[in-house]
Amino acid sequence: MRLRRFLPFVFLLSLGLGAQDPALKDTFLQAKALWASQGDREGATARFEKVVEGLMPKGATLDTAWTQVLCESYNWLAVLDDRSAQTKPRAQGRLQALIDLNPDYEVDRALTSQRLAALFDRLKGEKYAPVKFSYLPEGGTLSVDGHPGPPLARRFLPFGVHKLSYQRPGYAPSELSLEIAPREVKSADFKLTRVSSTVTLYVQPSGAEVLLDGRSLGRTRGQAGPEAAPLAVPLGLRPEDFAEAFVIGELAAGKHQLELRAPCFRTKVLQMDGALATPWADHTLEPIRLEASKGTLSVSSAWSGGELFLSGQNQGPLPVAQLPVCSGPYDLQVRFPGGGFSRRITVEDGKALVVEARPKPRLAFLGLEGETDFTGRARFLAQLEAFGDRLQQVAYLPARPGESPKQALARVKASREAELILLATPVPDKVVHRVELLVATIDGEEERLLVKPLEQDPLGPLAARLNTVPPISEPGLGLSLLDVPGEPGPWVLSASEAAQKAGIQTGKALTSANGKPLLSIQTLRQVLEGAKGSVALAQGAAPVALPVQMEALEIPLSASDLCYPAVLAQLRLQYAGAKGDEANLIRLNLGLGLMHFRKYDKAIDLLRDARLSTVAGVSQGTLDYHTGQCFLRLGSAYQAEAMQAFRQALKYPQATLLGPDGPLVAPLARQALEDLK
Amino acid sequence: MSLAFPWSRTLAVLLCVLPALAQDGDLAERLYRSGERAYAAKSYKEALDTWGQLLQSAPKSEFAPRALLDLARHQVEVEHKPEAALPYLDRLKAEYMRAPEAADGLLLRGVLLARQARRSADLKDAMAEFNRVLDLFPESPAVPEAHFQLGRAWGNQGQWGKSLQHFVEAFRIRPDAAIAPRAMLKAAETMDLLGDLPGCLRMLQRLRLLAPQSPEAQEAAWRIAVRVKHRMQKPPFSNEGSWPAGRVKWLKTPTLLATAPDGDLLLYQYDLDHAFRLHNGELSPAGPGAPGAKALVATATGEVWLLSKAGLHREPAAAPTPLGGLGAITGAALDRWGALWVGDAKTPALTVLGADGTSRTVASPTANALAALPTGGVVIAADADRKLLFLDADGQPRTVVPYGKDLPAPFRYVLALASDGAGQVAALVDGGDFGEGVILLGPDGALLRQATFKSLGISGRITSLALDRSGGLILCDRRNDLLIRLN
Repeated sequence: MRLRRFLPFVFLLSLGLGAQDPALKDTFLQAKALWASQGDREGATARFEKVVEGLMPKGATLDTAWTQVLCESYNWLAVLDDRSAQTKPRAQGRLQALIDLNPDYEVDRALTSQRLAALFDRLKGEKYAPVKFSYLPEGGTLSVDGHPGPPLARRFLPFGVHKLSYQRPGYAPSELSLEIAPREVKSADFKLTRVSSTVTLYVQPSGAEVLLDGRSLGRTRGQAGPEAAPLAVPLGLRPEDFAEAFVIGELAAGKHQLELRAPCFRTKVLQMDGALATPWADHTLEPIRLEASKGTLSVSSAWSGGELFLSGQNQGPLPVAQLPVCSGPYDLQVRFPGGGFSRRITVEDGKALVVEARPKPRLAFLGLEGETDFTGRARFLAQLEAFGDRLQQVAYLPARPGESPKQALARVKASREAELILLATPVPDKVVHRVELLVATIDGEEERLLVKPLEQDPLGPLAARLNTVPPISEPGLGLSLLDVPGEPGPWVLSASEAAQKAGIQTGKALTSANGKPLLSIQTLRQVLEGAKGSVALAQGAAPVALPVQMEALEIPLSASDLCYPAVLAQLRLQYAGAKGDEANLIRLNLGLGLMHFRKYDKAIDLLRDARLSTVAGVSQGTLDYHTGQCFLRLGSAYQAEAMQAFRQALKYPQATLLGPDGPLVAPLARQALEDLK
Repeated sequence: MSLAFPWSRTLAVLLCVLPALAQDGDLAERLYRSGERAYAAKSYKEALDTWGQLLQSAPKSEFAPRALLDLARHQVEVEHKPEAALPYLDRLKAEYMRAPEAADGLLLRGVLLARQARRSADLKDAMAEFNRVLDLFPESPAVPEAHFQLGRAWGNQGQWGKSLQHFVEAFRIRPDAAIAPRAMLKAAETMDLLGDLPGCLRMLQRLRLLAPQSPEAQEAAWRIAVRVKHRMQKPPFSNEGSWPAGRVKWLKTPTLLATAPDGDLLLYQYDLDHAFRLHNGELSPAGPGAPGAKALVATATGEVWLLSKAGLHREPAAAPTPLGGLGAITGAALDRWGALWVGDAKTPALTVLGADGTSRTVASPTANALAALPTGGVVIAADADRKLLFLDADGQPRTVVPYGKDLPAPFRYVLALASDGAGQVAALVDGGDFGEGVILLGPDGALLRQATFKSLGISGRITSLALDRSGGLILCDRRNDLLIRLN
């Protein structure tokens, strides 16, 4: 007998108890088993108490199944308490709690004594009165005072006036007001009028977005119940393979387009015939299954130590090859030991996306110093927080909430999670009109600039400078060219040995490049920018193919469009992945960057050990000349070293400053030596 | 009580003084801004008065050095009285050396002192100011111009290596500074003086690519053109005929030619006693009237000076300035200090007339023709010695070119000399086996191009010549009253 009473509970539990702590479910079943099979009253009471303790604090938010468990636990506890003289007084409290939780719950009369049942009825009658309902058609939703619920045939409502509403898709809702008084039995009859057709969908997967004619109607959710079995089984599937029924109500007359979207699945578009809308009826479509949609992602980098994150999810260390990824947009991040890489990517269905990650310096925003309020502070802070959206060459790390700039600086320095910092400090004045922005490397090379927070775009100039990275090489052909008025094209002033061997003649104008007329050096530069491998040049006769080679450049010093801390951070990252001449060219430019900050001792450290194998253009002589300049700046103590460096520079008569067409180093080094003598 | 009294008195004084100081600061800023507003509206007197009031009432304010600098600039730029600017700059230097405006003040002071210089030794003070800018204000935006001015100063002393160092630094340390195109142009010209023609051409090209819209880029274009044509391509001269094309018998006895700083041709018509500027094919009078002029000089500011037996004719002077007995003038040129070098066929020396009215002589053979050089010196032709002498700024010969060197036959006389500002020198020659013709020399005296009039089919009476900016040579033919262009 007791075991039979058990069975409905087991069914209920299997339906929806998964959301709570599974241990509570076991405790509840154990409590019942203890009482039913062993008559262990104390043991059962203790376990029911535990269930109540676990569920009671969440009372109003529990779902139907767990509410049922709690109600039953109260019922059982009332019965168990009532059987002992010591605990009997508690029984009434249990029943009162049960009524307060769900007045529509009916105590188990087979379990509960008549006296206790009478007490339950009396307690309920003190606050609630029954209302009988009838619905036409059935299957809708009854809302009492705005709270929707199942359309029960009878409900107990507290005394007073209540607003009742019954609605069902495809019908006009019906509302009425009802005053409940003690010891009265009221009734409410709802009869709905049909206003449109409805379409019921069973969709796999759960969570798919349903759009009708481009308008989102919501998402499918949960699992379908047994009612979906006639549709699912013929397809070889179980009802629970589909989401619970999604009903489209108020289907207007005419044809419609139904669209179903879900992450990781191909979007499905269905055309709905006008016959579904008129005449008015309830339709259920064949179950709809969305097909999985995936692509592959490969990420690699010449720099070591990178770790891939896709929209915040760690995907492991680089290289990552052919990683299956659901199609859709992602925030791709690669975290390197020094620097980061980020890009917004979109993985397309069935396609392979390959990304080469080059680390970018990370700029950590430390925050706005102090609490000084000023007009435009909130706007300015918002602009600083969103600053990362405007930066292409650095990865931006916004300030952490609740952290002071000092704490943030300490954190960044300790963790080395950024190469650059940004700090905003209002300039003290009677009224704050200016904010100082400090951009600095972790090693202390810093730049400060003043901005006016009420300007249209106070961060625009800084964003532009942070986005500008000076090149340290440019494509060239080993030619020195002049635009000479009267000549048909760029005039060859000099040519490398290789270019001369290939057939280029000095003292003659170039007339075409890759078969197109060449009017100026500027045109040739454009050709070079898009060139791959080689460029065919002609001097009025048969064209000659010259290989495109990268020619070394120096970064400009004190250029107003550059942010030098960022330039240094970029170069340091590049250096980490470079070898040979490329690495030494970066060292040369790092040295120049440090000379910009007047850190001549640090610059010497970089320059003196660098060796370039090239002898023309920006080359070894250039390195030696700058080394001499740095020693000169350190004072007379290093005069001998400076002279030595300038003598070295003189050994490279073709070495230049700035770029391949810059001034020769030799006359400058010679003069420097003379000055030192 | 006795202890508390001094404290309370100090506090009271502080309470009185602090707001007063704050008010001073406010007042200074308001006065400065008021002066700025008036200045922008060109109400100069109001602006100067307001800034003067600021200097009196709040001399300790941060706006005082700004006011001093603005007052000095006004004297230079608007009043054109550099000497009136110096007291402001002296005070700025003496009292506000820690202010950021001191860098600009020192720079301006140096520039004014350099302008006053009449010889190399006079540049000492100016260069000291430029060096102070570099040493004391290394971060200042004035640094590139300080380097540029130092480059000029060293160049004016013939120290091309030092000069190049500073010009290169001027555009290297701040490539987007306003002075950068000028510095690149000067660096290129200095490289040429140092014998690095390819470097010079590359630098000029670099200037054209980096600052294509600048006036310096226009300069660079013609400087590249003439150097490539005359020194690298060296095509044989060809006679293009009358110039401007088709104009014959349109002049009244042209006898002298010169090139103005902007590239226009200046010509003197003997029958009209006047010089003219030829611009876009149109003639317009230039400079004062001067009967019987023997030399024509164009100044850096565009003025036209004429020299005749009567003296030096220049506007606005009503009467010519006597030249101290120079009666057979053969040529004249202005040097970088503003001194006029005059050659006279009857004087075995060069006469140098200073801008301050002084006169001195520089030992030299008798000059039968004379032209300025970009080095700051002059080139003279000495028929008696049959030599061309390239003199430096001190009058010392640096290069000597015998008449007829590298030519198939020698000539005997040089009738006129011309230079183009890029180092090339053209000579109108006659006599000897070579006969009438022209030769073109490089800055080092090397022969670049030559032709006899016979080979060119020219039969008029050519009295003068000029080099144009397209690599052409203009000749004036007094007999046929026309100009001829050789290409």
